[in-house]
Amino acid sequence: MDYVFQFGQVVDYLPYLVGGAWLSLQIAFLAFCGGMVIGLFGAMAKTFGGPVLRGTANAYVTFLTNTPQLVQIYFLFFALPDAGILMSPYQAVLLGMTLNAGAYLTEIQRAGFETVHRNEMEAAETLGMNLWQRVRYVILPHIARVLFPPLSNQYILMTLGTSMAAIFGVEELTGRAFNVNAETFRAIEVFSLTAGIYIVVTLVATVILGLLGRFLFRAKMRMI
Amino acid sequence: MFARIIEEAPTFFTYYNGLLLMEAMAATFMLSAVGCVIGFGAGFFLAVARRTTSLGLLPLRVSTFGFVEAFRRIPFLVTLMLVFFIFEIVKIDISLFSVALISVCLIATAFIAEIIRGGLESVHQTQWDTAAAMNFSLAQTLIYVIMPQAWKIILPPVFSFFILFIKDTALASQIGVVELTYAGKILNNKGFSAALVFGSILVLYFVISYPLARFGVWMESRLASSRNR
Repeated sequence: MDYVFQFGQVVDYLPYLVGGAWLSLQIAFLAFCGGMVIGLFGAMAKTFGGPVLRGTANAYVTFLTNTPQLVQIYFLFFALPDAGILMSPYQAVLLGMTLNAGAYLTEIQRAGFETVHRNEMEAAETLGMNLWQRVRYVILPHIARVLFPPLSNQYILMTLGTSMAAIFGVEELTGRAFNVNAETFRAIEVFSLTAGIYIVVTLVATVILGLLGRFLFRAKMRMI
Repeated sequence: MFARIIEEAPTFFTYYNGLLLMEAMAATFMLSAVGCVIGFGAGFFLAVARRTTSLGLLPLRVSTFGFVEAFRRIPFLVTLMLVFFIFEIVKIDISLFSVALISVCLIATAFIAEIIRGGLESVHQTQWDTAAAMNFSLAQTLIYVIMPQAWKIILPPVFSFFILFIKDTALASQIGVVELTYAGKILNNKGFSAALVFGSILVLYFVISYPLARFGVWMESRLASSRNR
């Protein structure tokens, strides 16, 4: 092996790469928030909905969790223009990630809904709360604590999942790494630096989420 | 969109296109299955290595911890690129499929090691202590005491990781491994409409993944009920 490592050239691009990491976090955050909303309605449909709503939610979750996110985004990006819907790469990736996250988060939140005790639900019903009030005032405060660890785990996984956006030309961390690689031809250095940034970013996210969980819900979380 | 799909369908569903898709499907399945089997073996080793206590093995524990934590935090695409370019600079000529396989094994090892570690820790500490008191070696402790209790906890999450992994191998198409997603890109480049091609690819992934997912749910419920008895 006669390869000489030269990090100097690549380190100059560090601010550029870190900017990409910021975009990655942004995409993950937006997709996560969208997914949480979809997931909440999905979980409500699966728990309280009639046969039609439940069937729709089931079909959505089953199909999206059993197919790869990459191909889903391919479908959105390349197939929908045939139907007259044109999306920018960023929009397609964001929509694809949101829909995919929605499916996984539906399952997580449904599992949370099941931990709420029957008596509590009946008590809420007796108080004359409608469905939305029951979800808002009884279920959500109850499951927030139980679901915090799995949800933050899902958020970290989604941050890693944003690297997929590079394939569609979104200039987030991996996309920018491809750019730097094309300019410097220092592939190993670029991608190991990128890997390092991902490790740091997810570590920081884990620590922040862990502290947040500890202060908000006193939830026990594995740090690091 | 639908008119075009119906128009193209007869030329799309031909013997050779089907053959390409079937071979690609086999490649996808092989990637994740082999990755998970090797990942299970290596992950088991890493998980056990982290349970060792002797001072001499401290470097092993630290490096295991570093490996697991690092590879769980690097996206698959970046791992793929790293492995791809590392083989380029050490000038070892291996096929793209092997590159993908090695990256799959690395990631699977890291994730499965963590699952197995959780499983080993689920066995109560007194069991470990008792085995130590009976002068069992580490291998004996694992074979006769720990694994008979832990495998029921380890197997379901490993299996669901395997199913999750089938879908992650779609990224291997980015370095040119001919698996299901890449076959879709080939057919799309041949001029078939993207809706038809990627729709079929989605269905094929579903065909692999869904029965396995059902099996996983069934296995989990069976193992859980037998544990409560």
